[in-house]
Amino acid sequence: MKKYIIVWWKLVSATSAIALAARFSAIMFTVGKIVRLGMFLVFLYVIMGKAKTLVGFSQDQIILFFLTFNFVDTLVQMLLREVYRFRGYIVNGTFDGFLTKPISPLFRALFGGGDILDMPMVLIMFLLIAALCIFKIHPSLEGVVLYGLLLVNSFLMAMAFHIFVVGLAIRTTEVDSAIMMYRDITSLGRMPVDIYKEPLRSIITFVIPVGIMMTFPVKFLYGLLNWQSFVLACGLSALFLVLSVVFWRNALRYYTSASS
Amino acid sequence: MSLISVNHFSKYYTVYKKEPGFMGSVKSLLVRKYEEVKAVDDISFSVESGELIGFIGPNGAGKTTTLKSLTGLLYPTKGEVSVLGYTPFERKHAFLKEISLVMGQKNQLLWDLPAIDSFILNKEMYGIADKTFKSQLNELTELLDVKAFLEIPIRKLSLGQRMKMELIGALIHNPKVLFLDEPTIGLDVVVQKNLREFIAEYNKKYEATILLTSHYMKDVEALCKRVIMINHGKILFDGELSKLIEQYAPTKEVSAVLGNKISEKDIVKIGEVKRYLAPQITLRIPRAHIGDAVKKLIEIGNVEDLSVQDPDIEDVIRDIFSAKNPQES
Amino acid sequence: MQTYILIAKSVWDQKFAYRLNFILWRVRNVIQFLATYYLWFSVVPVNGSIAGYSQHMMLTYVLGTLLVSAFTLTTALGDVGPEIQNGDLSNSLIRPLNYFMYWMAKDAGDKAANLFFSVIEIALIILLLRPPFYWQTNPWYLLASVICILLAIVMNFLINMILGFIAFWSPEIWAPRFLTMIIIQFLGGSLFPLDIFPKIMVQIFQVLPFQYLVYFPLKVYLGQIPLMQILIGFVTMIVWIGIMWISCQMIWRKGLYVYSAEGR
Repeated sequence: MKKYIIVWWKLVSATSAIALAARFSAIMFTVGKIVRLGMFLVFLYVIMGKAKTLVGFSQDQIILFFLTFNFVDTLVQMLLREVYRFRGYIVNGTFDGFLTKPISPLFRALFGGGDILDMPMVLIMFLLIAALCIFKIHPSLEGVVLYGLLLVNSFLMAMAFHIFVVGLAIRTTEVDSAIMMYRDITSLGRMPVDIYKEPLRSIITFVIPVGIMMTFPVKFLYGLLNWQSFVLACGLSALFLVLSVVFWRNALRYYTSASS
Repeated sequence: MSLISVNHFSKYYTVYKKEPGFMGSVKSLLVRKYEEVKAVDDISFSVESGELIGFIGPNGAGKTTTLKSLTGLLYPTKGEVSVLGYTPFERKHAFLKEISLVMGQKNQLLWDLPAIDSFILNKEMYGIADKTFKSQLNELTELLDVKAFLEIPIRKLSLGQRMKMELIGALIHNPKVLFLDEPTIGLDVVVQKNLREFIAEYNKKYEATILLTSHYMKDVEALCKRVIMINHGKILFDGELSKLIEQYAPTKEVSAVLGNKISEKDIVKIGEVKRYLAPQITLRIPRAHIGDAVKKLIEIGNVEDLSVQDPDIEDVIRDIFSAKNPQES
Repeated sequence: MQTYILIAKSVWDQKFAYRLNFILWRVRNVIQFLATYYLWFSVVPVNGSIAGYSQHMMLTYVLGTLLVSAFTLTTALGDVGPEIQNGDLSNSLIRPLNYFMYWMAKDAGDKAANLFFSVIEIALIILLLRPPFYWQTNPWYLLASVICILLAIVMNFLINMILGFIAFWSPEIWAPRFLTMIIIQFLGGSLFPLDIFPKIMVQIFQVLPFQYLVYFPLKVYLGQIPLMQILIGFVTMIVWIGIMWISCQMIWRKGLYVYSAEGR
């Protein structure tokens, strides 16, 4: 375990050193992300100021849904950034190097390139959520605890889908945008999923349970869901994790290694 | 028990065929025709500790597939593979700590960072003690003469320097078994020679077992006593390099500088002429008749200088592969 | 001219050669569209309105952005920067081609392929969701919107060209592009009609070039902009195109100088 933490830290420092060497880009990307967040917030304030409620939620509540989505999304991106580069590693044969090192190749594929540039965004999101809760929403302690637990659950579920993506990259290099598909679908969680109708509703119910990942935590914070939903959420992410790891192990058997 | 044993090992790939055109692509989404490619087809061999073995064969013969299966990258379709008593595909960490794989065309070090960063990362992954790490790094950088480049980003190094760094990265944990896939590809002659000497030295000094594939027969000739020749996924020959030449090149080359000028007609009686640029002549003579041929040559040609050699190994190998498969090479 | 048509066609062919990826990319577009669509569907009450938009009008607007942005925002010019960076620009320079025409041709091929799919997508969306689609019948509005779209295409071309030329000086070409795309996404009007914002912001948007990429052409098509405003919009666009064109030429000349000096 200690070995993994040290190796993780070394890899993250290496990736960060590269990212920060391009200072101009680092600043531009961060500014871009803050601008995007700011504009979305302005937009939500404007329309929610006019609409008053959206599927039964107030302006502040809707904004908390939005911030929670962003928090999970950015955190996942920050920690699992390496997945975006994984297909390249298969194509150019770098993955061979992962397999011959005495460290779990799955760990290396998922966590081997954390993106330090997302750190400020995660912090900003966390502070905004905290501020909104303290000054506007006033949730119960129980709600906050459940919210926190479900965020962890969301991360695990996201990780399961990332494992599917890297497994898929081993099986076929034909699809290079699987991870972007995942992101587009989960980005539906920006708003409470109750607003969607068919055909999106089936996709976010059966393909990727966006509602459980993005909407559930906030609903628990508001005390809108019961313990059965909690069990369902945890059970489902456990199931996805197990399935994804089985899929990954199986995919390794079909690994053909880039021909030299 | 042998260090490495391979029993009736096969590796098949399935590839799918796509019909051309738009409709072909749509069709290929629904129904696909699969075809089996036998990259390695039922091979067996074993390797003892400390051996330095060369795999030879044309592109796509199955050399790299064999090497990759021995390192646990590929899952065998059939048969058994065992290295150091482990099943490679399980990739037990104890096993991975004892082996290393270096591929000439691939880069395993962190591209944008100095080599030393990658080495430190490896130190952590392999759990190498500080002291061992330092002395090993010191020794390897001295042997390969790259101490001055340790802190320069990999991407700024020359190909030769980079390959040396790759080797250091692969050997920093002092593996018992080393797999080298085309380690000298693309390098200039001087660096090739450097690396060859280094590999030989490493093999001796640490009694490491080394399996190597190369397109350059020079590598194999200089390093390997034993070779395994593969083509179309099957082993054609496994044994000493000298035996290979004996078996596949039944003739030797007799070269002489002649004092007399003799007509081609007379020479042809002695043996097959490979080259005749008076006064130099080179003949191909079956091994059994070398004595007779030399005697005759001296009798009629007033020989000033004479030598008997095995044919160029590069030629022998090329002959073997082109004979087995005329459309290649 | 024949050459440029062939270049455009080659881009079209490439899109179809990697069609699985291309189709997935289009699917992503549709998902993003549906997200916006349902947001508005839920936000605007069936019989009410928000900022002067009824649900009907809003959905028409959102559907319209899909079509207009297929014309104006799609581009092949993402490759300009990488081409300069890896030295492939030399290949284009030694050929007897006009560099700008060369990329216009590529852009056209890219737009054609995207439009081809857009039309299918929109047809499917209309069939399945039955959103209110607005057929403009007034020829003057149609003419004005066609002019608008053509100007917007030129504008988007120049913006992307300038972004690509950054590669002459710096390897960091993705960050500026990322930032620009975010701004265009919001201030271009793809997510929402810009006039839901307070008046002062709307006035700022009118001076900036971004709203002319999606919002303005679409509103002209929908016939929701008075004649005088359309004319002012045309003038603004032409002024911006002028500024961008001149800067683009200057940057190109200076950049080429840097490029040849470094001998990439």
